[in-house]
Amino acid sequence: MNALLLSALLAAAPAAGETTAIVGATVLTVSKAGNLEKATVLIRDGKIAAVGADVQVPAGAKVIDGAGRFVMPGIIDAHSHAAIEDNVNECTNVVTAEVRIADVIDHRDVNLYRHLAGGVTAINVLHGSCNAIGGQNAVLKLRWGVDDPAQLVFAEAPRGIKFALGENPKRSNFSAPGPRRYPATRMGVSEVIREAFLEAKAYRREWQEHEKKAKAAGKGATAPVPPRRDLQLETIADILDGKVLVHAHCYRSDEILMLIGLAEELGFKVRTFQHVLEGYKVASEIAKHGAGASTFSDWWAFKLEAHDAIPFNAAVMQSKGVVVSLNSDSNELARRLYWEAAKAVRYGGVPEQEALKMITWNPAWQLGVDHLVGSIEAGKQADLAVFSAHPFSPDARVEMTLVDGVVRFDRAKDLAARSAAPAAGGAQ
Amino acid sequence: MKRALAALLLAASAAPLSAGEATLLRGGRVVPVSGPALEKGDVLIVDGKIAAIGATVAAPPGARVVDVAGQHVYPGLIDGLNTLGLTEISSVPGSVDVAETGDVNPHAKAWIAVHPHSDLIPVARAAGLTHVLSAPGGGLVSGQSALIRLAGSTPASLVAKAPAAMHVVYPSGRGGFDLAQMFAEPELKTFDERQKERKKNQDKALARLAELLARARAHAAAQAAAAAGQAAAPELDLALEALAPAARGEVPVVFRADAEDDIRGALAFAAQHGLKPIIAGGLEAWRCADELLAKGAAVLANVDRLPRREADAYDAAYTNVLALHRAGVPFAIVTNDPSNARNLPFEAAMARAYGLPAEVALRAITLSPAEIFGVADSLGSLEVGKSASLFVASGDPMDHRTTVNHVFVDGVEQSLETRHTRLYRQFKDRP
Repeated sequence: MNALLLSALLAAAPAAGETTAIVGATVLTVSKAGNLEKATVLIRDGKIAAVGADVQVPAGAKVIDGAGRFVMPGIIDAHSHAAIEDNVNECTNVVTAEVRIADVIDHRDVNLYRHLAGGVTAINVLHGSCNAIGGQNAVLKLRWGVDDPAQLVFAEAPRGIKFALGENPKRSNFSAPGPRRYPATRMGVSEVIREAFLEAKAYRREWQEHEKKAKAAGKGATAPVPPRRDLQLETIADILDGKVLVHAHCYRSDEILMLIGLAEELGFKVRTFQHVLEGYKVASEIAKHGAGASTFSDWWAFKLEAHDAIPFNAAVMQSKGVVVSLNSDSNELARRLYWEAAKAVRYGGVPEQEALKMITWNPAWQLGVDHLVGSIEAGKQADLAVFSAHPFSPDARVEMTLVDGVVRFDRAKDLAARSAAPAAGGAQ
Repeated sequence: MKRALAALLLAASAAPLSAGEATLLRGGRVVPVSGPALEKGDVLIVDGKIAAIGATVAAPPGARVVDVAGQHVYPGLIDGLNTLGLTEISSVPGSVDVAETGDVNPHAKAWIAVHPHSDLIPVARAAGLTHVLSAPGGGLVSGQSALIRLAGSTPASLVAKAPAAMHVVYPSGRGGFDLAQMFAEPELKTFDERQKERKKNQDKALARLAELLARARAHAAAQAAAAAGQAAAPELDLALEALAPAARGEVPVVFRADAEDDIRGALAFAAQHGLKPIIAGGLEAWRCADELLAKGAAVLANVDRLPRREADAYDAAYTNVLALHRAGVPFAIVTNDPSNARNLPFEAAMARAYGLPAEVALRAITLSPAEIFGVADSLGSLEVGKSASLFVASGDPMDHRTTVNHVFVDGVEQSLETRHTRLYRQFKDRP
């Protein structure tokens, strides 16, 4: 059955006062409480009301049998391009801070449903890496089935923007017709960023002076003419004011240090280094700057700048105090991030809960929503993934995924729907 | 004398290899794949081959004894589709030898260009892979693949079997990805116009392929006649010469095809021209399992892929091989990824999580590819007389948390050092 049709069955919004309980499961809280055996997760009004072995299920609550199952916080992918097919990159300019991913969300992209089937509940949809300073990202909650893209937006998430360093903004692996676009070197990438921030500072000063004048003029006086509004510089000025989180695509250690230097010179913070495949070489510097790192578990050798990538990257950065997440950058890989996290155990011996954090609490922190999602604790939003086995086990399969307490994916329902439409295939 | 010389050469090489004539792996859980597991047993390796497997095997005098108690012994993993050795850094053309120019390259032979010193080989090997099908790609007739051993310092020493297969990209008529076209104005055409165009391109390419096969057979016949002194030698044509064994059905032809109609088309074309088909990719193989069974074609399938159609079940690619298993179609699970061939057991794990029995999933990355490429007499399982290409792991290789602790290729233990472990050591303690 078409996932779009199935979405209609699952799309009901949480009714106020509705209570759901997942009962008798192993709950991987990814919090101080650790792993709880035969525990209950009580959900009320889309939030986690209680979690523990001794939680009473109130009469009238909808009960989900968790026996033999494992519940973990919904997986958060800090690097996604889902739901924006053909709208990933505004490549025509080297700075495109004015464009917004939120304007081009396709809420009916079937990949969102496929993500849910891999336990993913929130994604950071980033602009592409064409530009030194790219467009603004959109953090989405996978409320599959809603009728309006705006309803997917994670409203509480701070704004963010994509930066990119190295081969992609240099366009060294791409050939488009026409003259080459500046920059073509890492030197140029650095100057583009510096120039943009210096212009934004001047722009901000202009506005500040204007506001001062307007205030001084007082009521009744002729208002001074405001400066021309520039959406690009306005966005960069907002980065300087700490209102926009910077997510910087990078690979090599030298360019990571370059951006840290620029950020400290110009007075802004990098929230995350994305990909950051040589982060292990400069992990202390990343930690000192206070940036997080969102990396691939084991991709390497696909570009020259990825030749020194090692699968121990996440473990090394984590050991030096960097908040590390593992991302997909891929509609396919996004569906098995739980096994990407297991690779942090394999390569570098990261403890299991710390590895789980790399796809839950850590990306939540990187997106500024760790107080709302990323762990199973009372008061947090009920974004949960229910597995058939421990998520790191080779038998692990997602059975059910909830966003704000609403079941947005239910394998049993999906399977039942298939009998009505066997042409869609899949195991019965 | 020959053996002493070999030992001397190995001792002189930099890698910490153990080239003892006999090695006994003692006290591990032995999983032969071809039969039930031995919960606690010994494996004796002599002269590169498995000499004995049993609950207790006596160590011959001078044998190296490796205590593998609490560990698991498996046959070496085999990735049945890859470009390992032909690709170093995929975006750097100078480091890639996968696709020749032009469409017809049956005389491109992977075993000529596999790079024994590729940084990618030790990475795959450290995960328990001992053999990989290294195949050219692109064009219409891409070239010939070799099954390579992941040990050796010359291209010749890497070869386990060559040619393993002739590789053809089944012409779908759809046209490949073209970066330059991304920036071009799209041509406005109706669906019907596009379909007609596709069919025309496809028919043209298939006619070309059919003609090539006929000419290859004719060329071989002319050569035979010349050899018998009945005619003058035909004009030199290396492409036709290389294609002849596949045209005669002596070497299998691997058709790259994902869509149902392309798979069916490849099977029909192969039947019409007397070829021995194998389907690579096979994303929609589950839609034509009966046809694959009827035509006796095996499938080399990736598991970790998105469904081909929007309306397909979300797990259509995960359960693809399950459908083949149920229908009785032979298949191997492959990565087709040179830098991350090490994830082969995890592709098998995904098929397993979605219903493929665990022992079938393991077989799909060991014995099944060995059978498909005709090397099951020496590879793919732990049996007396077979090559001692095997690995020792802390647990189930399909579990990401498992570590691989020993890898043997043809009886010789391999270093588990890689570019990655070296960089890890270099930087992990940097303040």
